Amino acid sequence: MASPVDLLIGLFWLVLTVLLYAAMRHVHQRRPHFLLSPMIVVPAILIATLLLLRVPYASYASQSHWLSAMLGPATVAFAIPIFDYRQIMRRHWLPLSFGVVVGMSVAVVSTVWLCRLVGLPEAIERSMAVRSISTPFAIIAAPQVGGQADIAAICVVITGIVGMLLGEWLLGWLRLDTVLARGALFGTAAHAVGTATAHRRDPEEGVISSLTMILSGVLMVLLAPLLAPLI
Amino acid sequence: MQLSRVSKPPAMSFSPALRRFVRTLAQVGLIIAIWLLATWLSQHLLPNVPPGIAGIAIALGLMALGLLRREWVADGAAWLLREMLLFFVPVVIAVVQYPALFHQHGLAILFVIVVSTALVMLATGFAVDLAWRLEKRWLRRQGGDADGEPG
Repeated sequence: MASPVDLLIGLFWLVLTVLLYAAMRHVHQRRPHFLLSPMIVVPAILIATLLLLRVPYASYASQSHWLSAMLGPATVAFAIPIFDYRQIMRRHWLPLSFGVVVGMSVAVVSTVWLCRLVGLPEAIERSMAVRSISTPFAIIAAPQVGGQADIAAICVVITGIVGMLLGEWLLGWLRLDTVLARGALFGTAAHAVGTATAHRRDPEEGVISSLTMILSGVLMVLLAPLLAPLI
Repeated sequence: MQLSRVSKPPAMSFSPALRRFVRTLAQVGLIIAIWLLATWLSQHLLPNVPPGIAGIAIALGLMALGLLRREWVADGAAWLLREMLLFFVPVVIAVVQYPALFHQHGLAILFVIVVSTALVMLATGFAVDLAWRLEKRWLRRQGGDADGEPG
């Protein structure tokens, strides 16, 4: 089915993605401007290249899908920081759960309301409703509220990038005193991309973020069947 | 980890960087094995539990039981978490599949995401801050020690 040439082309895109990412991470570490973030530059370059050369996504993804396959094991890896900081969860389960419930309610209600405000089609609205949770959860929750899993996944990642930038900016002038509030802000609003940002800012903030990200995902998957008739 | 370094015969000794690389790789392999087990479980036994959640639960359970030592996976997990943004790249690239959708509605979608994300962040941040203050006050009234001020 896949000829050696197709395999080589697929490998080319995979290697190009990894090399671009490594190069941009190096640049970003030296000049930490948000526009130089690998999550902005790498997709921008690749999307422009694919569109210019008229390369179909299937050709790009034939080998690059191994990268997104690593999202699963990466989710499992969160078990280690959770284990390390389990005392925080035991001690502060109340504020964290409260924050997650408030955050998820605001996420769903504001998304549906804003989509209607700007007149987006209902199919997009339903795919967007679950977007502030992590990709593996969104793929499960989106069809339950009548959304499309792959559009939901794209919106999830765009949300992560937006959250990464907005979060740092908001925390610049919000003055939230506790690491609990700062971490939860990233975890509920911007899932794993936000958690990676929080982790880079402060390991403890990253742990809070991953805990709230997981709580949000679980809550949304459990609530999605109940939400469906309301949206 | 320390023990194996001491007991290894000289002929087997590699440079520290190479040894660290192989160890991280093996640990990532172990995490992938847990992930595969979790995927199998969620497909065959627990259809409503996403594999990610099942995997975290398995890893936490094994560590709590002492069957999985933290050091066996810590380096691999740290690497996966550090490079996680890379794994998201192909997902974003998928927008090229929907040129019409994002051409027509792209700006509106971005607007909704930016405003909604800002609202979620503000609401969550203040909700946690408020609940934490209440918790602190409640613990103090209980006569308990509310020293656990994080951050």
